[in-house]
Amino acid sequence: MKTAIVLSLLTLASLPAGVAAQHAALTPQDSAFHALNRLAYGPRPGDVPRVAADGVIRWIDRQLAPERIDDDRLAERERQFHILAYGRADLAAMYTEAQRERRERKLAAAGDTMADQAASPIAQRGRRLAGEFADLAVVRAALSERQLYEVMVDFWTNHFNVYVAKGADRFFTPDYIEHTIRPRAMGKFEDLLIATARSPAMLFYLDNWESVAPGSVPPAGLRVRARPIFGRRPGLFDPTRDPARQDSVRRRALERMPKGINENYARELLELHTLGVDGGYTQQDVIEVARIFTGWSIERPQQAGDFQFHDWAHDRREKRVLGVRFEGGHDMDEGIRLLKLLAGHPATMHHVSRQLCERFVNDDPPDGCVDDAVAAWKRSNGDIREVLRAIFHGPDFWAAENVRAKVKTPLEFVVSAARAVFAQPDTSPRLAQVVARLGEPLYLHVAPDGYPEREAAWVNSGALLDRMNAAVALAAGKLQGVTVVLDSIVSVGDAEQLIGVVNEKILGGAMSDNTKQVLRRQLAGIDDPIQARALVVGLAIGGPEFQRQ
Amino acid sequence: MSISRRVFVKSGGLALFSLGLDPLFLARAAFASYRPLPSSTALSRPVLVCLFQRGAVDGLNMIVPHGDPIYYRERPRIAVPEKDVVDLDGYFGLHPRLAALKPLWDSKSLAAIHAVGSPDATRSHFDAQDYLESGTPGVKATTDGWLNRYCQHDREHEDTPFRAVAFGPQLPRILAGSAPSLAIDDLQAFGLRAPQPVVRDRLTRAFEELYAGSATGLLSASSREAFEAVQMLKRLDPGQYRPANEADYPRGKLGKALLEIAQLIKADVGLQVAFADVTGWDTHVNQGATEGQLAGRLGDLGQALAAFTRDLGERMRDVVVLTMSEFGRTVRENGNSGTDHGHATAMLVLGGPVSGGKVLGKWPGLDPAQRFEGRDVAVTTDFRDLFAELLARHLGARDLSAIFPGFTPDPARFPGAISA
Repeated sequence: MKTAIVLSLLTLASLPAGVAAQHAALTPQDSAFHALNRLAYGPRPGDVPRVAADGVIRWIDRQLAPERIDDDRLAERERQFHILAYGRADLAAMYTEAQRERRERKLAAAGDTMADQAASPIAQRGRRLAGEFADLAVVRAALSERQLYEVMVDFWTNHFNVYVAKGADRFFTPDYIEHTIRPRAMGKFEDLLIATARSPAMLFYLDNWESVAPGSVPPAGLRVRARPIFGRRPGLFDPTRDPARQDSVRRRALERMPKGINENYARELLELHTLGVDGGYTQQDVIEVARIFTGWSIERPQQAGDFQFHDWAHDRREKRVLGVRFEGGHDMDEGIRLLKLLAGHPATMHHVSRQLCERFVNDDPPDGCVDDAVAAWKRSNGDIREVLRAIFHGPDFWAAENVRAKVKTPLEFVVSAARAVFAQPDTSPRLAQVVARLGEPLYLHVAPDGYPEREAAWVNSGALLDRMNAAVALAAGKLQGVTVVLDSIVSVGDAEQLIGVVNEKILGGAMSDNTKQVLRRQLAGIDDPIQARALVVGLAIGGPEFQRQ
Repeated sequence: MSISRRVFVKSGGLALFSLGLDPLFLARAAFASYRPLPSSTALSRPVLVCLFQRGAVDGLNMIVPHGDPIYYRERPRIAVPEKDVVDLDGYFGLHPRLAALKPLWDSKSLAAIHAVGSPDATRSHFDAQDYLESGTPGVKATTDGWLNRYCQHDREHEDTPFRAVAFGPQLPRILAGSAPSLAIDDLQAFGLRAPQPVVRDRLTRAFEELYAGSATGLLSASSREAFEAVQMLKRLDPGQYRPANEADYPRGKLGKALLEIAQLIKADVGLQVAFADVTGWDTHVNQGATEGQLAGRLGDLGQALAAFTRDLGERMRDVVVLTMSEFGRTVRENGNSGTDHGHATAMLVLGGPVSGGKVLGKWPGLDPAQRFEGRDVAVTTDFRDLFAELLARHLGARDLSAIFPGFTPDPARFPGAISA
């Protein structure tokens, strides 16, 4: 009740007034810088004064309604990405073509290892599209005006992680990001959960598409389709015409048909997507959940088919999950009912709210933040915007001890560095490769838990040196994949001016005295003003202050 | 290349200090006898290399119980046929793609431990990996890893940034903690990059000063380690490395990691604990038997380990390699010609100090009545007993209870992987 009143007051004020009273240390500039670091991928030059003047709470509320933010410039850039022009069936066809070609080249090469060295145009196209896919995420993060929305897309991409290099997920994953995650990133958690459960990408990644009730028999049509050669009639001289061979082919195809339940999706659904590992479920619950999802499958996965429920594969007996009885014989409705139950379960609210607080407030979030988020979740029936609003309007978000308390992930570091100097990314995969080199190859986290949020996962000596290298290259205009024109940000001047401008525009005024002294010493021997500027910008972005947010 | 004088001086100082003030002195003395006396030369410093088969390797198809008909009955499609198994002792055998390791078995420098695992029953990768790395099964609150705690408890060797190195882009949980440890993705590219050495040195110095003066928390500690390592590697010149004895490392991450580990061992930069991840073991679907998915991964592992031992040659007398995995897989194959998450698995230990040519551990059998929850190989060796033995008898750790809190290591339970 009290929270609601405070919230309505806050939305009226241009500054977080109630909060500012408690934490007088945060100036409007500091508040803007903090919000831009957490809700966005860092400020661009000019963003901090603009948001501060406009009112940081007003900016936050606008970010919470991304559909009302004009993003035409990004839309224009997106049109340059071919990957968005292809559906998953196109990608599947290209993949199959590339596979077939590779097989044929291997056969033709027979011993000649040189033959398969040069990549064919087909293979090159596949590689280019894969590169574009990762780069698109970086470009959107860097250029979108809907910054919070892009941050949330990244959050859910990791929460509902799939691994793009696993078989059919090569062509399912782009579709998954575009049509499953992105449209629901700021909607209801329940909708997102159900959409991921039905998505071919997730069904394939966690093997549920092959999970069938023990003893179930697929209809004859499916058994035939299970042959290794599909979509093509065997030729006259095809060995499969030989009755003996044909028999063994059929036998092997039958052997490959799934024969039992697979617990993989069920376990990760409970542990990662909803209740959390301490959410109070048992191994028996995992098995029962897996039984509920038997038959949730994919129509012709090799051709990028859609979700399909196989009633023949569904376990029709009664199930019991977390003490709740699921009467048998309700086919797909059992799964939907279960997902709704899980989406609204207190353990889920707590688990996901805590993860959001880890992302936005602190690696070890205060209980108050989690409580506020859970309360908003209950009030709003799991409306992600309202949960976020509660976090951003809560006192913990603004508490001095949480400002600059988080270390940037590689994606956050690279994108915030690019934004800090107005770098314009191209459509080449280079910038995404930098993110990968720093330890976060996008869509390539094998395990279902997604990339970690905690600093311990990202701060190590090797990765730090890589960050310094990337920063120096970026400032020198030598980082491939982006164009940087420093003139618009930092004019050439004497050492003190240079240090002052970089402190204000890139470090949000957080530059330590030590850093200033080191920069002064470094500048002392450099006459070329262009070089001096590149050095200061590089050291600032690669230095300790910029690693934090 | 030898350790610089500065390093020796620092080391001597620290060792004296810790002997004088160590409250754990008495507890340490209890374990002092389990380790052969360390030689006084830097050359014979023992090294432990840990390879984490992340994703849960199927121990039963790695070290195959081909003498048990139940194995073949439960795995009609994915069992390794008797004729293909590389027999070890009449009952167990190597997967054929690990045949490159057979000579090591014959020379008694390779042992396998079967039915080893966690006392915790979880079948979640994340929990089980977490427990394997924290060394505290069932306790989530542990913040550091057991390899790091080893480095914490015994600081005599803290004279080099290369004491504990993980080969990969990220520092793994097992090395997380207060003792300095390093993550190296590529030895050659380690450090600041610039076309001219003068510029590189200048940048290195500038960043070093920035971090020394302004970094806080983990950023501060990690950057300090980074710059120390840069200095040492500059002297090492890893670009010039050629493996010895025509050792042929397989292409790929594991081959590269082991090559770089061998390089650091030979360079005598003080490497004591090395770690690398080996992925691709989560074979739920179409696992394969003699050929296939798992066979491919095992082939890579076998070739890489064989190349590593060949390359190190005589130096293997100081080196122990341990393979480990978070749990094993179901005895029975699943409906997708694969295996699901199980309980106990098998681990390999190889190197000069190993008491090899044996499959160690108590074999519980595959009969459903002997299985864990009726489905998985039961754990008869707590992985901490194996790890503790390696730390005590190979690395000379003295206070094992500090490394494995809440666990009382008992030499009577050590599987016997290290020669007395």
